[in-house]
Amino acid sequence: MLNIGKLTRAMSLLALTCSAQVIAEASPPVPSSPREIIVASCSGCHAQNGEGRWFRISDQRKTPEAWQMTLVRMELVHQAKFVDPAGGDSQAALRTLVKYFADTQGLAPAESAPYRYILEQELNTIEQHDTEQFRTMCARCHTGARVALQRRTEDEWRNLVHFHLGQFPTTEYQMMGRDRDWLGLALNEVVPYLNEHFPLQTDAWQQWQSASRHNFEASWRVVGSMPGRGAFSGTMVTAAKGDDHYSVAFNGQFEDGETLEGSGSAVVYTGYEWRASLKLGDTRYRQVLASTSDGGELTGRMFQREHSEWGLRMQAVRDTGQSSVLAVQPGHLRTGSEGSLRIVGTNLKGDVNLGPGLKVLETVSRDKDQVLVRFRAEATAAAGARAIKVGAVELADAITVFGKIDRLAVEPAYAVGRVGGNEGSQPAVQAIFEAIAWGAGDDGQAGTADDLRIGPVTAQWSVAPYTEQAVQDQDLRFAGQMEKDSGVFTPAAAGPNPERKYQTNNAGNLKVIATIEQDGKPMQGDGHLMVTVQRWNNPPIR
Amino acid sequence: MKHLKPLNEKAQLLDKAAEEGGVDEVVAMQTVAGCTATTDPGWEVDMFGGVAGLCQPMEADLYGCADPCWWPAQVPDVMVTYPDWTGDAPSAGKDWRKLDAVFPEDDS
Repeated sequence: MLNIGKLTRAMSLLALTCSAQVIAEASPPVPSSPREIIVASCSGCHAQNGEGRWFRISDQRKTPEAWQMTLVRMELVHQAKFVDPAGGDSQAALRTLVKYFADTQGLAPAESAPYRYILEQELNTIEQHDTEQFRTMCARCHTGARVALQRRTEDEWRNLVHFHLGQFPTTEYQMMGRDRDWLGLALNEVVPYLNEHFPLQTDAWQQWQSASRHNFEASWRVVGSMPGRGAFSGTMVTAAKGDDHYSVAFNGQFEDGETLEGSGSAVVYTGYEWRASLKLGDTRYRQVLASTSDGGELTGRMFQREHSEWGLRMQAVRDTGQSSVLAVQPGHLRTGSEGSLRIVGTNLKGDVNLGPGLKVLETVSRDKDQVLVRFRAEATAAAGARAIKVGAVELADAITVFGKIDRLAVEPAYAVGRVGGNEGSQPAVQAIFEAIAWGAGDDGQAGTADDLRIGPVTAQWSVAPYTEQAVQDQDLRFAGQMEKDSGVFTPAAAGPNPERKYQTNNAGNLKVIATIEQDGKPMQGDGHLMVTVQRWNNPPIR
Repeated sequence: MKHLKPLNEKAQLLDKAAEEGGVDEVVAMQTVAGCTATTDPGWEVDMFGGVAGLCQPMEADLYGCADPCWWPAQVPDVMVTYPDWTGDAPSAGKDWRKLDAVFPEDDS
């Protein structure tokens, strides 16, 4: 006979058990605090030596990327395990530590400002070092920025020297190592230099720690430019998820109408270091931006995760309801010409005033964040950078007026491309060039200090052997292809090439030539492209 | 260099580069962000600022240089940091496609 009472109790128990499981599945354990993770993961080697202080760890400050690299090295070299005592995921524990260390032992905005190119993956930057010794002793294998984006005590700089010799013992007998007392110089000259220029304690860090922090939940107006694609404008909407984490919706378009749209998430480190991972269309992007001290702007670069050479230099301005003019696209026009201009801003109100000699013929379209106008430039309009106004709001140096182009430059003047693909693990690294027009300036002589930078112009592109050796080695035939309309060079396949002498790789030493036509006459500018081999060590700071 | 006579092709190239002032150019090129300035041999560029003096092909001598961590910022050093990097690829010339990047992908 069915016992209703037992069945009811059994069903209640089952329901309770199921409810408990649902609650357990719906509510993951609360993650441990960063200090609890440090105790569980790091303190076996890094003994606690005060409240919130650990041996060696507490004597350094770095960027979020550098803390990530340090923690990854602890995993790879010392088999460290990042443990969340509450049972959370190991990689989540690592991310928690990166956030904690970057927040409590990061760099002030003024300290990271001169070296942002390496965080932004601007890998064709030519570094200028303060001293020849710094270049040969520190920046021989990696960027100088990798050093200059750290702050340490003198003992910690000394430990870093010993670490290098232990980890990379060849340092002493490579070129620029074996011809000098490398260790003696490193300890007795370089360590004091580093301690003087990059000490742990600085006024900038002291002040930044007490500066007010901002909530980055907002609507942002985005302007920028991507070499190889052109000017860009759009919007970014961010929503706070707690603990400096944000959701991000990104939407915009290039001058030719192609859109870039998608979403992702962001983390703010050290109160100003904005890092976002987005999927825009089918492509993954990383934003490396820095906030201004008032939290009103984020500036930096958004680049493709798989091809960091493709990047948007961007400015995101918080929409506070105020009217602002942020950019004019294109940023230059010629005297005596007619054309269209897009004025990008926020809450634009009133008439467009392009200044003397530039007449607005028609407002083609407008909404609160952009105005499209047709203009005519008088032949007598003054050359040079000038401000424009929309209503009462002005943008200085918004547009450059020029009479004629006097010289053409290629940017970057020197670029590195890398062979890739061909079923190997590393994709080819493309080289993306822009043709930059210049005016002669007041002295009428092109190539002098007062030359007027006009801006990027459309050009036809080609490559040529850079040296006689490149002719002999047929670099032009093997190294890759230049797209003649875009300035984008795609290196050839990786691996030994049986068709080349010694089966060598598809490396090449090439001259890059941009050609424009002005008033029926051709004008050229040139740059230098080194197509070289791939690399297999690609940390966020190189 | 006037007391030294170049005996092989590479030495002749060095002599020629010095005569043409090419060495100054090399110094400028060595400071491209993230490229190594170690050029004996070089990884991205050779001693003359070109690519003709690199190991040819790179795969022929890759392990000879990766083992003693010649360019540890570009190529995983097998001696200390990444002893297993070449484990699945005993011959660089044949197996270079099996070589992976060493810094872990960050999915965050």
